Formats: sequence, C-alpha cells, structure tokens
Amino acid sequence: MNKHIKIFYDNGRIELAARWILGGIFVYASYDKILAPAVFAKIIYGYDLFPALFINLIAIIVPFLELVAGLALIIGFYPRSAALIVNAMLLLFIITISINLIRGHEFDCGCFSINSTTQQISAGALISRDFLILALGLYTFFYRNERKFCMLSSPVSYSKTGGRMES
Amino acid sequence: MKIIKEISILLGASIIAAFAVNYFSPTGIAVIGQWDTAKGVITANGKNDIVLNDLEIGNVTSAKKLYDSRRFVFVDARSRDDYDEGHIKGAVSLPVGQFDEKLETFLEQYPPEKPIITYCSGRTCEDSHKLAQLLLQLGYTEISVFIDGFPGWEAEGHPIE
Repeated sequence: MNKHIKIFYDNGRIELAARWILGGIFVYASYDKILAPAVFAKIIYGYDLFPALFINLIAIIVPFLELVAGLALIIGFYPRSAALIVNAMLLLFIITISINLIRGHEFDCGCFSINSTTQQISAGALISRDFLILALGLYTFFYRNERKFCMLSSPVSYSKTGGRMES
Repeated sequence: MKIIKEISILLGASIIAAFAVNYFSPTGIAVIGQWDTAKGVITANGKNDIVLNDLEIGNVTSAKKLYDSRRFVFVDARSRDDYDEGHIKGAVSLPVGQFDEKLETFLEQYPPEKPIITYCSGRTCEDSHKLAQLLLQLGYTEISVFIDGFPGWEAEGHPIE
C-alpha cells in the first residue's frame, strides 16, 4: 500500500474525526424528525415510493436508526457495525433520491430540516452530499487500526497483520 | 458472526426506542396512517392530528351545491400568492401562515355566526383543516372543509377568478 495512504488510513485521530463528524450528522438529522413524525411521514408519502402500509413505520423507525447509529459512532459503541448501518441508510437515501431524480418526480428531501419552505437543494446536490457522507462512512467502516475513545469496540482480528506487515 | 450480533443489538435498540418514544410522545403517530386520497385528506393519524374527517365535504358536486346555496363563505387557506393566481369565485383569503395578522379584519366581516367552508390545494394539503381548527377554537360553529380544494374546483370548470 502507498505509504501516505497507509499513514492516513492508520491514523486514529483521523478515524476519530471522521467517526464523530459522521455520528454528529446523523444525530442532528434525526432531531427534527423525532419531534414531528407526522410531518416526516408526509415527506415519505411525497417520495411516492413506499406502500401506504409502511409509511408510518418508516417515519417512526428511521429517525431512531439515525439517532442510535449516530450516538453509537460518537461514543464508540460497536463503531464498525454502526458505520455499516449508516452506510446502508446512505445507500438507500441515494437510491430513493436517484429514482425520483430520474423519473422527474418533485419531492421534499426531508433530510435534515423537515420545514420544506427553508430549503431548496437540487436532487443532484443532495446525492453528491450523500456520497460525501458515504465516503466518511466507508472510511470509518474499513478502518482497521485501533480506534480512540471507544466504549465497546470489538477488535478486528486481521488488524495486526494488516497494520504491521509493511511497517 | 460478531458483526451480525452487533447489528442486531443496534437495530433492536433503535426499534425499541422508536416505538417507546412514539408511544409516549405527544406528537406520536399511529402505526398505520391514512394515505389514500380517495378516502379524504391524507394524514399520519398523529396524536396532535388536525385532520377531522367529520368536517370534510368529500366531492366537488356537494361543494358546488353548497356554493350555489350562497349561504356559505368560502375561505382560502393557501398563501396570498396562490390566492392571487386564482381562487374560487367570491372566496375570501385567510392564509393559515398569516392567521394572527389577518384575523381581525376577517372577524369584522365574517362573525362566528357565518357558516364557513375552508379549502386549500387538494387532498394532500392539510391547511384547510388547520384553518378549520383555528376557526372552531374562535367559536365558529358551522365549518366544513372542501377537501378537493382549488384544483378540484377548477378541474370541474366551476367559477373561479
């Protein structure tokens, strides 16, 4: 592996920064939705992709997935699994936004603020933003060295061989 | 595998927290909402829900009959801009967003004895219900919500201005 990439990749401080930023984004994103699930449900309806039976369930559960995964990343509670959940959510967000972008369906993102009057971001910009966040998520997931400030992080068995072979 | 166990714990915690908070929160919603526009204005069926299906006038024909009786004041709950672009002929503008500032002049012209029909932009919009609630709280007694709103009215070719 390229030496500079390796230093970047094994750096615990960079991992910590990425993990905290990622966790912060998700905790922040969950806040408005938890306060007003009815408004969030209507936004999900507006995506015009989900069966009526599931709209409320999505509106009830997704904000707490964001909150729990975000908090888990921040306090380092199963950080790798939390990163995987966050990445899965980001992928789903990217897919749903892309579908509506492709079929030209107007929708309200409901990503952070659920007050639709204040934000007018194009779907393309939304997708790019999600990909940036996804980069953070993938980095946090694939990071193999020891993680700083973790409450409960299972050691990755292959981290030592991977980390020491080239040093 | 370890990661599956970890993910199950995180997912389980999320789902339990989600339903617990939703159950106790004053803004919690039902497990299943009303998302069928054929049945009326859509709503998540929240605890603080403002959609009251009892008030609804479910089709344009009935609304037109009430309109022709000339007994009702049609009140437009949409923004002033939408109202200016086109509204039901003779309707009064009272945007929900500016309710407090516009209320005084409205009360002078249309006291609580007047029968009122509110509307907005159709079955995915709940502003007409919001307005109906605000007016009910002020003591208006005879209030209905025309749920097809301006688009439904216009599509049937009824008088607009």
